[in-house]
Amino acid sequence: MKPLNQKAERVQLAAAEGQMEEVRAMQTVTAGCATTFDPGWEVDPFGGLAALCQPMEADLYGCSDPCWWPAQVPDIMVNHQSWDEGAPNAAKDWRALGATYPTDAET
Amino acid sequence: MKSALFAAAAFCASALPLAAGDLLVTVARPSNLYVFDAEDRSVKADCDLGANVTPGVIAMSPDNRIAYVLLNHWQDVVGVDIETCEKVFHAAQSEGDVTRRSLASLAVSKDGSQIYTVRNPVRKKTDRYEVMQPEFAVYDADAGLEAKPSATYEAPRRSTLMASDRNGQVYVAGHEIYRVDPSSGETEVAIANASWDRPSYSPPDVLAFWPTGSQNDEMLLMYTAAVFTDETQQEMADFVWGYQSVDLATGETEIADFASFEVLMFSAVRSAVDPKHLYGVYTQLSKHNLETQELVKRVDLPHTYYVINVSSDGKEIYVAGTNDDIGIYDSETLERVGEIRMPSGGDMSVSTLHVVPQG
Repeated sequence: MKPLNQKAERVQLAAAEGQMEEVRAMQTVTAGCATTFDPGWEVDPFGGLAALCQPMEADLYGCSDPCWWPAQVPDIMVNHQSWDEGAPNAAKDWRALGATYPTDAET
Repeated sequence: MKSALFAAAAFCASALPLAAGDLLVTVARPSNLYVFDAEDRSVKADCDLGANVTPGVIAMSPDNRIAYVLLNHWQDVVGVDIETCEKVFHAAQSEGDVTRRSLASLAVSKDGSQIYTVRNPVRKKTDRYEVMQPEFAVYDADAGLEAKPSATYEAPRRSTLMASDRNGQVYVAGHEIYRVDPSSGETEVAIANASWDRPSYSPPDVLAFWPTGSQNDEMLLMYTAAVFTDETQQEMADFVWGYQSVDLATGETEIADFASFEVLMFSAVRSAVDPKHLYGVYTQLSKHNLETQELVKRVDLPHTYYVINVSSDGKEIYVAGTNDDIGIYDSETLERVGEIRMPSGGDMSVSTLHVVPQG
């Protein structure tokens, strides 16, 4: 098995050094968000699209509020708590939702 | 955020006297706790909680007068009188450099005297997070607006939904469905999930987000699992839906498969007056017969809904969450017979929908 990114490489290193006890899933670090390991927002459990939420806007805040998919949707739980300000209805207000960027303090 | 949320004047009331019949309780953007009359679909109370209320996990007091809500992004527990909108309880779980969030873990004892959470403490250091031991926290309901736990015990990691039974025990969904004695912290497995003894099954996948069913004295969760032809688990025979249930009157548990995995369902409920039927919701509303394991009926919904509940008489099904409407369906025909729009026009997202019997 070959690590594909730096994080996977560090996990492999930890295993080699007998330090796996110190490796924790992000879902146990609630200050850091992610409560789940669901792999993606783009494909449903059947490998298609029909079982995704309909329409997409019905699922938008359901993913961002509890930090379900922090890679695909800004995390309102911890890091981007104002992302939805002025946009209470995702179906009507989605145009007001912008991209998010790390602040200087986070980089 | 916190100071704005809990400013003294944050709770503005436009409440009306409550009447007999079921009430529906939920929260919606931007900052509203709503109480609706299920019969005439009217707004009975609109409580401004002062800030974003989602993910709006709600637990009702047993007398159905106080809605306890996880607020401040799952860090705080706030109790609100649903008749007057008065804030009667507040526990801020985070303090100093330690953040404590409860991942939908909130319950109230059946006598109303205690509130329970599982809190996940994380200390933010200058260079890293220190993950600390999750805690089962016990609060006295009369502790007021600066409530601190009266007891804490070690809790399992990855705890989510909670429910209390009439014997004084508390159930916590996690790797297993745990039973916790809140007087001692003693914890045991009530329903095995990760450790279930089903050699020809994969481990179950359980989505536990919506603490509904308290009016029926039932904690009901669904699972999905792969079923193999034998214990070698080389060839899959089926992929199934199952349900697991705790009777909150007796503490008795059950777990059983009921259907093949044909459509997604996010939450389910069954009526106390008709327990052989289970209703599940997502982009479809499905009615299953648990005794015959037959799909009775399935209808498409106008959009996806996350959470489902049932009227006290079992005649109406309510689907909510995601957008800004509660869909109302006839439990026999699954026809849409009504809807309630959130007056604020805001989304409910993953909010709880409680059915509150009156009278």
